[in-house]
Amino acid sequence: MPEWSIILLRVIGVLFLTLLLVRMPGRKSLSRLSPFELISVLVIGFTAALWSLNLIGDLLTIIIALAVWVLIPQIFSILSLKSKKFRDIYRGQETILVHQGKVLEEKLLREKLSPEDLLSMLRSNRVFNFADIEMAVLEPDGELNLLLRKEQQPLTPHSIGIPMLQEQAPQTVLIDGNIMEEKLAALGLNRHWLLTELIKLGVAVENVFMGQVDSAGQLYLDLFDDQIKVPQPTIKEMTRATLNKCQADLELFSLSSRADSAKKVYSDAARDIKNISTGLESLLSR
Amino acid sequence: MTVGSQVKGTVASLKGVKATLETFASLQTYSDNQDLLNNTCETLNSVIGSLERRVAELEMQEPQYKGL
Repeated sequence: MPEWSIILLRVIGVLFLTLLLVRMPGRKSLSRLSPFELISVLVIGFTAALWSLNLIGDLLTIIIALAVWVLIPQIFSILSLKSKKFRDIYRGQETILVHQGKVLEEKLLREKLSPEDLLSMLRSNRVFNFADIEMAVLEPDGELNLLLRKEQQPLTPHSIGIPMLQEQAPQTVLIDGNIMEEKLAALGLNRHWLLTELIKLGVAVENVFMGQVDSAGQLYLDLFDDQIKVPQPTIKEMTRATLNKCQADLELFSLSSRADSAKKVYSDAARDIKNISTGLESLLSR
Repeated sequence: MTVGSQVKGTVASLKGVKATLETFASLQTYSDNQDLLNNTCETLNSVIGSLERRVAELEMQEPQYKGL
C-alpha cells in the first residue's frame, strides 16, 4: 500500500475515534471545561493528529497514551461529582470580588486581577459604577456574574406590585405546512379547529411556513410568501375595547335616565364592567 | 334609536364578551386563570341579568318598540 493511502485510512480512523473521545466529558460546552479537562482534550487531539500522520510511535503506545488521557479526566470528573472537597480542588471555587458596593482588594490580588481587569469585566456586564453592585462573583471558569443593588435592578411587575397572571407558552402547531397534532392536543384543540381557522383567514395549509397558537387560542401565521399580509388576531384587543365601550355606554345611560332606580341599575353595571376590565388587564394585554 | 334598543345593543355586546371569555377559560391550563375567567363570567352574567330586567321595564313603558 502506498504511504498516502495508509495516512488516509489513519486520518479517517482517528477522526471517528476522537469524535467518540471528545464527547466523553458529557454535555458541557468547551468553555465550561475545567482547565485540566481542556488540556486533556488538547493532548488527545495532538496525539491523534501526530499518529495519523505517522510521526510517532506504534499503535499500542498511542492507544495506551490516549486511554490514560481519556480515563484519568473521566475518573476525576466522576470523583468531583461524588465529593465536594475534591470538586473544590478540581474545578476551583467561586470568589466574591465586590460585596455591597465595596471592592474586596485582597480577593482581587489572590485572583491576580488588576483593578482595570475588574472594571473591564464589570463593563462587559453593562455596569459602569461598582457602587451599584450588591455582589459580584468570579466563577471558577473566569466568568464574572453580578447582582445589582435593589434600586438598580430593572423594574418587573412583581417589584412594583402589579399582580400578573401566568401564561402558558405559545405552541407551534404548523411547521412547513405540516400540522403538529400533539401540540394542538396539548391546548385541547384538533386539526379541524386549525383548518377552520385557516379557512377563516383564507389561507391554504401548504402555504404556511409557521403557525403558533397562544394561550387565548389565537393563531399567528407566517406564510412562505412574505408579500401576502395575514391579519394578526385581535381577539384580546377587541374584547378589551368592547368592555370599555360597554362601560362608557352604561355611564351614558345612567346620566341620561331620570328615574333613580334606572340610574342605579346602569351605574352599578358600569362599575361592575370597570372592575372586570381592570381584573382582566394582564390577561388581555399582549 | 330608542333607549331600549341602545340598552339591547349593550347587552348583546356583553354577551359577546362573555362568550369570548368562556372560550379563553376553556383553553387555560393554569387554574388561577380559569377561576378568574369563570368568576368574571359570573359577574358578567349578573350584569346582563340586571340589564335585561331593565330592558323588560323599558318594553313595558314603550310597548310600541317591543322586540328586537
